[in-house]
Amino acid sequence: MEWLTPAEWQAVALSLRVAFWATLFCLPIGVLTAYALARWAFPGRQALNILVHLPLIMPPVVTGYLLLIAFGPQGGLGAFLKDTLGLTFAFRWTGAALASGVMAFPFMVRAARLSIEAVDPKLEQAAATLGASRAWVFATVTLPMILPGILAGCVLAFAKGMGEFGATITFVSNIPGETQTIPLAIDLALETPGGEGRVMRLALISIALAAGALALSEWVSRRVATRVGGA
Amino acid sequence: MRVARIKQGFARLRFAAVLAYVLPAPVWAGEITVFAASSLTDVLQNIEPRFEAETGHDLRLSLAGSSKLARQIQMGAPADVFISANADWMDRLEEEGLIASETRRSLLGNALVLIAHDPDASPITIDNGLDLPALLDGGRLAMALVDAVPAGIYGKAALEHFDLWEGVAPKVAQAGNVRAALAFVASGAAPLGIVYETDARAEDDVTVIARVPAESHPPIRYPVAALTPVNNPAVTAFLDFLDTPQAQDIFTKAGFTRPAE
Amino acid sequence: MTLSCHLKHAFPGFTLDTRFEVPDGLTVLYGRSGSGKTTIVNAAAGLLRPDEGRMQVDDWLLFDTMRKAWLPAHQRRVGYIFQEGRLFPHMSVGQNLRYGRWFAPKGATPEPLDRVVEMLGLGPLLHRRPAALSGGEKQRVAIGRALLAAPRMILADEPLSALDDARKSEVLPYFERLRDEVEIPILYVTHSAAEVARLATTVVTLEDGRVTGQGTATEVLGDPSVTPLGARAAGAVIEATIAAHHSDGLTELNAGGAPLFLPALAQPKGSTVRIRIAAHDVILSTAEPNDLSALNILSGTVQDTRSGQGPGAIVSLDTPAGRILARVTRRSATRLGLQTGTRCYAVIKSVALAPEDIGG
Repeated sequence: MEWLTPAEWQAVALSLRVAFWATLFCLPIGVLTAYALARWAFPGRQALNILVHLPLIMPPVVTGYLLLIAFGPQGGLGAFLKDTLGLTFAFRWTGAALASGVMAFPFMVRAARLSIEAVDPKLEQAAATLGASRAWVFATVTLPMILPGILAGCVLAFAKGMGEFGATITFVSNIPGETQTIPLAIDLALETPGGEGRVMRLALISIALAAGALALSEWVSRRVATRVGGA
Repeated sequence: MRVARIKQGFARLRFAAVLAYVLPAPVWAGEITVFAASSLTDVLQNIEPRFEAETGHDLRLSLAGSSKLARQIQMGAPADVFISANADWMDRLEEEGLIASETRRSLLGNALVLIAHDPDASPITIDNGLDLPALLDGGRLAMALVDAVPAGIYGKAALEHFDLWEGVAPKVAQAGNVRAALAFVASGAAPLGIVYETDARAEDDVTVIARVPAESHPPIRYPVAALTPVNNPAVTAFLDFLDTPQAQDIFTKAGFTRPAE
Repeated sequence: MTLSCHLKHAFPGFTLDTRFEVPDGLTVLYGRSGSGKTTIVNAAAGLLRPDEGRMQVDDWLLFDTMRKAWLPAHQRRVGYIFQEGRLFPHMSVGQNLRYGRWFAPKGATPEPLDRVVEMLGLGPLLHRRPAALSGGEKQRVAIGRALLAAPRMILADEPLSALDDARKSEVLPYFERLRDEVEIPILYVTHSAAEVARLATTVVTLEDGRVTGQGTATEVLGDPSVTPLGARAAGAVIEATIAAHHSDGLTELNAGGAPLFLPALAQPKGSTVRIRIAAHDVILSTAEPNDLSALNILSGTVQDTRSGQGPGAIVSLDTPAGRILARVTRRSATRLGLQTGTRCYAVIKSVALAPEDIGG
């Protein structure tokens, strides 16, 4: 399409990449955390719950700043990950993905947890009596039944990843092609005289992508729900 | 005994009311909202209590990148006074009739500096031969948004002047405003940054390693103006206060200069 | 085979303290709701960890708190048939059935799928989803699923109580088949005397968390001192052979020489059936009754009379057909002079023998 400049396309592509990886990051950790909070009793459970919700209630800039301290070039975790996995987050798209992932995390956990709590533990008991160990019970009974909820969590995480601004700009700054996602590009355009056109174009694309993701998730959700059928 | 006290209280109240009626305006508490560039954070926060004590008016400050503030004013934000870090956005607002032109003047001047996180960094000279990427050694150069925020615009102009921009552009980390850029260097996330001299002075965790020659960029001027419509008496009080020795002293101590008109 | 069970568990306001040992076959845990029956079964399944206890099936130890031995639920090899079925809603009937089979350990030989499907009549249901099944069909699938997991013991917790009467009579025979055709011990919980009568090889009665009696169905139900559900549920179980089917819709049974008439039964002539006669369906008379509409009259001798706090009394009668219980008022018992040794007649309305009380 001709009506987006290369710089704008770059922002769109980057946003999709960042949101995708953010969701992927949230998925296994989020579902596991949700399961732990829903089903296990352990000391510090309340503390974990609060920790999970922090990105939701803290100002995004604060979250971004904490990420900077931890994962920045001077941060302990940042240096460790660089040495062991060769992974850098500071001022890179990986950092933008991390920021989006952290901000999206509470949404994933909440959606998954709601779903897990809706699964009748009696069914899990029945599976156990039939010979399924805890892990198998999760894989064959719990997981298929919480799939719609997980899907909802993914959509929310993706949308949050596409829309994340405060934590991103504070953690990885605005670097065209590297960290300039759609929200950062829109913000820059807003501050540039004559940038109104770009603002509108990017905003429309943003809305279209979000609506698309939502529609897709609704469709998949319905398909999965009929497979689970009348639970 | 208590009845007498109450009577006394009422008497005092009546006296105060009469006084308020008779005495000139300053006794009437007004409210004034000032939008100002983020580089003025410390000085304005310093001025605030003095202004309020002296005039009795309530000062509300909104500090952010000049470009963001200008955009908000365009959208109708209820500000009384705007202090920008460059003339560009002020001109825009003037074109759109959003400022009272007769109140516009250059309030302050500033200088750009190159700062480093490392307190032992040696001073350098900024000229065409400067190898910034080497100096950065894999790290980033923190600046405010180079196409929108004044500090970033000035900085980019200076680097272009010395033919250094092309080489260092991919290594630049653009922050939302100059104070955010300062924070990147202060925390060590970025080894170097370009900010105002006044910002560098305000922050202990950065070291100035070079002054950006003034002729390499447009003169840094902080225009101030009242926004239309001017119907708030506190506005004049504030604008006048900025010229008082008290306020000027605060500006100078922070490192701002008097603009060469 | 023996199932030996010793269980002690404290609940708020109630303590369970039981000990019993039962032989092969279908053992019924019989008692009021809340008497602790489900706790015992859940402990057997590994779903509940008792404060103290030990359970063993033949040489296979399920748990022993003294030796800190505890087999986790998924290693217990118990097939549990729940009250609500608990079929997996995201799987078809066929998949549900095969679920347990998948986890059966190597070397375990479950019943062949075809045989189970045939035995429980599940053929036409295999591709349906649990949501599309009736209550009775769900329970049949639940039975099949438990069976196909190659269990060493089958547990059933009031599997029929969630069904209406018609469904109950539909599913009950399948449990009879389970007891008769499959060589796996069954532990069955119920508060229904009818189910006890039809299914039990052995009955263990429970009241307020304690074992109050143990024996065959005939022994337990015929003993008025053991009425865990109160006098209203009291009834005797007797065995009889089918003598003839009459054309007017009645079947004649031979109960120890005495004739009994019931609505036509399906079983062929010569087969043995168990019938339950509820105590409240029996009227006693000291004089030989004549010209009554009731067809079933048995003569016998009073063995015992028991009264409770209310106006009622249970009289147990020895007749050629077996022990019969009758519920009368204390006033009548006194007026008729019913004591041990009194000769009297028991009048049973033939229509009072409900189909669910008749079973082979």
